[in-house]
Amino acid sequence: MLNKNILELHNLLINKETTSKSLIEESLKKSHELQAKCNAFVTIIDDAKESDITKDLISGIPYGIKDNYSTKGILSTASSNTLKDYVPFFDATAIANLKKHGAVAVNKTVLDEFGMGGTGTTGHTGSVLNPWDTKRMTAGSSAGSAAAVAYGVYPFALGSDTGDSIRKPAAYCGIVGYKPTYGMISRYGLFPFASSLDHCGVLTRCVEDAAIATDAMKGIDPKDMTTWDSSDINLYNSLNKNVQGKKLFYLKEVVDLENYPHATEELKQHLENFHQTIEKLKKIGIEVKSETIDKRLFQTIGSAYTCISCAEATSNMSNLNGIIFGPAADGETVIEKMTNYRTEGFSPLIKRRFVIGSYVLKKENQERYYLNAARVRRQIVDIMKKFFETYDGLILPVSAGPAPFLDGSRKETITDDIRILENHLIIGNFGGFPSITIPNGFIDNLPVGINITGNCYKDADILNIAYNLESILPYKNQIAGGVDHE
Amino acid sequence: MSKYKAVIGLEMHCELKSNSKVFSEGKNTYNEIPNSNVNPVDMAFPGTLPVLNKKSVYQAILMALVLNCKVPSYLYFDRKNYYYPDLPKGFQITQMHAPIGTNGYLIIDTDKGEKKVLIHDIHLEEDTASLDHYSDASLINYNRAGVPLLELVTEPCLASAEEAVAFLEEMRRIYQYCDVSEADTKKGQIRCDVNVSIMDQDAQELGTKVEVKNVNTIANVFETINYEIKRQTELKEAGRYDEVKQETRRFDEETGTTIKMRDKQDAIDYKYFVEPNIPKYKIAEEWLSTIQNSIPNLPRDRKKEYINEYGLSEYDANIIIKDKDYANYFEECVKIGIVPKTAANWLTVSIIGYLNKEDCQIKDFYLTPVLLSQIITAINDSTISTKQAKEIFNKSLTELKEPNTYINKDNAQINDKKELEEIIITILNNNPSQIEAYKNGRSNLFDYFVGQVMKETKGKANPNLTKEILKEKL
Amino acid sequence: MSKFTKELVESYANDLLFHLTDEENELVLKEFDEIEKNMEEIASLPNITDTLAMTHTLDDFSFTLREDEIEETPDIEDLLKNCKSIEDREISVPKVVNNNVE
Repeated sequence: MLNKNILELHNLLINKETTSKSLIEESLKKSHELQAKCNAFVTIIDDAKESDITKDLISGIPYGIKDNYSTKGILSTASSNTLKDYVPFFDATAIANLKKHGAVAVNKTVLDEFGMGGTGTTGHTGSVLNPWDTKRMTAGSSAGSAAAVAYGVYPFALGSDTGDSIRKPAAYCGIVGYKPTYGMISRYGLFPFASSLDHCGVLTRCVEDAAIATDAMKGIDPKDMTTWDSSDINLYNSLNKNVQGKKLFYLKEVVDLENYPHATEELKQHLENFHQTIEKLKKIGIEVKSETIDKRLFQTIGSAYTCISCAEATSNMSNLNGIIFGPAADGETVIEKMTNYRTEGFSPLIKRRFVIGSYVLKKENQERYYLNAARVRRQIVDIMKKFFETYDGLILPVSAGPAPFLDGSRKETITDDIRILENHLIIGNFGGFPSITIPNGFIDNLPVGINITGNCYKDADILNIAYNLESILPYKNQIAGGVDHE
Repeated sequence: MSKYKAVIGLEMHCELKSNSKVFSEGKNTYNEIPNSNVNPVDMAFPGTLPVLNKKSVYQAILMALVLNCKVPSYLYFDRKNYYYPDLPKGFQITQMHAPIGTNGYLIIDTDKGEKKVLIHDIHLEEDTASLDHYSDASLINYNRAGVPLLELVTEPCLASAEEAVAFLEEMRRIYQYCDVSEADTKKGQIRCDVNVSIMDQDAQELGTKVEVKNVNTIANVFETINYEIKRQTELKEAGRYDEVKQETRRFDEETGTTIKMRDKQDAIDYKYFVEPNIPKYKIAEEWLSTIQNSIPNLPRDRKKEYINEYGLSEYDANIIIKDKDYANYFEECVKIGIVPKTAANWLTVSIIGYLNKEDCQIKDFYLTPVLLSQIITAINDSTISTKQAKEIFNKSLTELKEPNTYINKDNAQINDKKELEEIIITILNNNPSQIEAYKNGRSNLFDYFVGQVMKETKGKANPNLTKEILKEKL
Repeated sequence: MSKFTKELVESYANDLLFHLTDEENELVLKEFDEIEKNMEEIASLPNITDTLAMTHTLDDFSFTLREDEIEETPDIEDLLKNCKSIEDREISVPKVVNNNVE
């Protein structure tokens, strides 16, 4: 039953062909099944209670929450040993909003520790495996959410996205990943990684579900000053068949094969598949053009991102000292206690990032590191905003191919050639742009995705283009391993 | 200090008055019960975010304007990163890059005349939690965490402890007059850091700057500065000026000395960067001018007015402006028609004397200006004597009944000439021998007759009128 | 020759209140060299220092400030329920000796 989308489930509930209770039972059963197969959850909420069925499309419907959202009375760990026993006494605003609309949380999903990773392998409960092929990674950091939605545990799960953390795992798991404009969904209660780049968002199996779930979560929040009033936007109602005259662009330097003298077979197929998708878009009346960029500038996206995100992260996570929450450590003095807690609690990867973040913020280094990175961000955002004066969105392939192997047998080292291809999703976080990934094909029986990113506040436009593209591709509502692909 | 001059700079932290904290909806009131004024934001629970209080911004801008500062067109904040158990977030939200006010000045009165104190900047930030120390543990109380603080930084432009204290006292008054803070040092609402260096009188180059942190009363600021000047001067005199280090010290109340905390090279790198969770806020011109127009009459202006327009002595004016509530009381008296000098006299002598003795506030003082005016009117129309007035003042305060209760026919002065004449004639008729003696030159017997009249009238006879009639009849 | 040393990395970690193993320290050193290379790339971009650093995500964001109203304090049990060392209504830590960091 749970392989259906929200609208289908809602109709079944309204017509009493199923109940919230039975959907939740099924979802919990599937959760345990997937947990055994892919290790996607930190917590399965076995005592989750059904809710009343109302006109609300998501009422009574189960969903999953990435474990970096604060959930009242439910363990919230951010997949970190520093919070392995933390039970919040308040809900994140996004969660409170979903509760109000009657959705039922059934599990908390694994992430890369505090969202600071892109593999799904650094959570304190171990690696998340890709349900399409358990030898592969899901990517991250919204790893468990991506695996669970792809596996059909529920129609939607919450993610968070600081660099590509919703949109990349969505691509590797053959589903939809959507990160709305910065401030559309409140970040209150989202455990921060890098506040100026963090976005709440959603993983689903179709664009329509992404719109419905986001409609329920979004809204101005007096507890988050960066939120804005979106009460005049209804994403679900804005979906229609009218995309005539919409204009997209791609970056020649990213998608033309000639940029990759050492292209693997995978990459060739991926780019070829991208161009085929572009041809299909043109057939439904969308204009797609090629644009060029300063490669030198765009190649620095990744390092600028590292600088900014690590700097903000080291500060954001300074509240983790084991005094008010978290497993307190031993120590003779309070500083010793704090130090032991942090030494024991953070994984080596996180510590490395903190050292980097702290280094780039040092008085003598700020100018050359942190501020230069923030200047790259400014230049790139300005260039994108200029493009958005002409175009409705940027369209690019996600990553250099399908999910890599967990054991590293396909090396993830970013060679200079594919630097922009691997990092361009960060543009969406730099500018706070709405950005959506949808599946657009298969390579080696593994899903790959395509991404559309638009200007701030133009979420409805971006979703509608993705909605129309999705309707001409055969991957809508697909379940991991459950379809015959072309 | 003849050979040398001191150069002093101050950093003054002042807690602001508001309902809620600066970055959360936690209560900002004094509360003796620990952790009873706390919002999840104040304890930095994961996922909580700062939400800026409009009132705090208003107060900060108000003070920036009072101090003649330049106010930036956009308001934003920075994070000051350091670890300490009283700092739950691991950073303090403050303003480093664009303080709410920069490049200002304030003119104050000192013993040596007017002084222009240059203000480097004034910025809005949050207070830390407080630690209560016990023999074996420290307890953390988050009531104070997130309380709005204004930090004012002067240029190193003060020359003595007296000037520094005059400036701090003036600032304290301004905070109170503007109603942005109680500025009560007893409640820890004012805390100072003091920078002191000395240099040869004719030197161009500044000496080595020593910073003394967390000096918590104005009296201690005075002591700190004088101690540091003395310490640095003695070292310089002894040819050991190289022992004056650019370092951070603290004031030790018990010994009245300063004690080294850390060297300059151990200074913490706070890794300041812009707080991304508080968007840049455009300070509208309109709002600025509204705030400018809401600046109340400040103590120094009021003092001038009292002296120049009301003819008060500088001494009296200084006493009255010391406390905003005194000044308001005085002005209310003038407003309802009491002669300014009379009001000042009552206030500075009887009222303040009473308040000090009873240790209470003028806000809670029973004799409001209107009630006080009952006594003053009675004196003016000679219904009571000044001696009686004093008695009525006290009686009224003891019994909490309005003065008019005691100003009645019964104890009213006898002002009626006919009535007095009758009494005087009777007395004269009963004392023929004294009249005889008086007329033979014993002029001091005049007072004897006055005394007799007072005795007969139980002191209620109008003394001037009595003398007048007596002269006539004798 | 790298300007980064093991001791330097150690001091950075100490400032952040954690320790690194030798192995972790080495990884940081390697990463630093990589970052140094990347940042040099950024520093050599044309017009980079003339650009205004982007510190806030949304441009020209307009909003209203919070009115000065209070929210009731949560139950003390909630505030302290994740804390391991409580004394009455307060959090207890080993006695803090130097009360003067800031």
